[in-house]
Amino acid sequence: MKNYETMPDEQLVQFSLKNEDCFYFLIKRYEIKLIRYIKQITIVCQEEAEDICQEIFIKVYRNLNDFDQKLLFSSWIYRIAHNEVINHYRKNKLLSKTISLDIVNSSGNSLASLLYDPLDIHEKYTSKKKAETVRKTLAILPEKYREILVLRYLEDKSYKEIGDILRKPKGSVATLIKRAKSKFKKQAETINLMDKY
Amino acid sequence: MKDVSKNALQKIKQEKVRPYPKWHFVFKRSVIWTLFCFSILTGSIAAGIAIFQLKSAEWDIYKHLSHSFLECTLLIIPYFWLFFMIGFTGFAYYYFRSTGQGYKYNTLWVVLGSIVLSIIGGGILFTTEAPEKIETIFEDEVPFYRMMQNYKQKIWMSPEQGLLAGKITKIISKQKMQIKDLHGNMWVIDTAATTWRGRFLPAENLRIKILGNIKCKSQFIANEIRPWKGRRDKCRMHHKKRCECKNARQMVPE
Repeated sequence: MKNYETMPDEQLVQFSLKNEDCFYFLIKRYEIKLIRYIKQITIVCQEEAEDICQEIFIKVYRNLNDFDQKLLFSSWIYRIAHNEVINHYRKNKLLSKTISLDIVNSSGNSLASLLYDPLDIHEKYTSKKKAETVRKTLAILPEKYREILVLRYLEDKSYKEIGDILRKPKGSVATLIKRAKSKFKKQAETINLMDKY
Repeated sequence: MKDVSKNALQKIKQEKVRPYPKWHFVFKRSVIWTLFCFSILTGSIAAGIAIFQLKSAEWDIYKHLSHSFLECTLLIIPYFWLFFMIGFTGFAYYYFRSTGQGYKYNTLWVVLGSIVLSIIGGGILFTTEAPEKIETIFEDEVPFYRMMQNYKQKIWMSPEQGLLAGKITKIISKQKMQIKDLHGNMWVIDTAATTWRGRFLPAENLRIKILGNIKCKSQFIANEIRPWKGRRDKCRMHHKKRCECKNARQMVPE
């Protein structure tokens, strides 16, 4: 009896191609992460994020044979999610206005605290109000900066993973993160976010 | 909160969604690589023609003109083919980025790499006659291109400055021939002291360029005669027929 729950993603892909039920174990691992990611970079509500996530999973299934073993499966599924969100953006202009209230990562840390002092996470734990300010700051950032900050600081992705997700060279990722941080700080200054920390 | 994974799996089962077969992606990747190669090849052809034009350009005639060397250079640069090459470099970049690993490479290196590949390809093509043949087709078939090449006619239609071009209409004697210039005027050319660049023989309907000076009205003393187009150093005697044929299809307006 195989234990699908502990099997590596890449192996589970091979099993999913043979048996669609195995696919459930694969996508279950990414369900919460992807819904959170969608909500962080769009303005959709929980229900709509779930619908987009479902579409992503179906797209992933259709394209399983295209999965490149050189990539991490997580990078590949985030890439599909990124493309799907862009498609939704084109259809419904979801990205440009504002973003979700839950602007904290899986450990409950705010983006602002991670950006200003990543070593002192617990002390800089933010309240819902502060998260709202961060949300406002992120909301006025251009989409390319917002998404890269979300991937780096909220999804804890490495530069290589971000490069694979956004299909950009590593150097461009580093430049983009630097610019995004600088933009974020400037925006934060204008709305006095820094004083609050 | 819904169980999205369960719903997705249910939908997959209900709608009998199947993963696209492997060959679907292999085909897609092959198309992208083919388009990339096609872009590089087309860029190479453009580079080959640009090299051909630069190599066969008369850098020495600026002395006969009122233009400076810089002005002449600006006139001679094959803009059309350079833009063509740059355009296809852009396509090559786009297709390369669309390949599986293409996004990992720096834009500047990909663009420079595509340009270098096109120039190398163009250099290889230049050793064949393909660039000349393709350019002739463009001159014959593309009016826009013909218009762009008009500067060449303008330069060579300056008899007062010692430059004349046209088609041989009659070989009068060993030292005299008649030509119809690009504006349709008839000239008698004195070829007694002429150097024939390219070692081709005078023949009726051959399009030529003449360096010399006006003797009197409608008479011109030729110091040097060149074929209208082509590599002066490669137009050999034993290729005479081919040269005539090639030159008979030149762009000189009737």
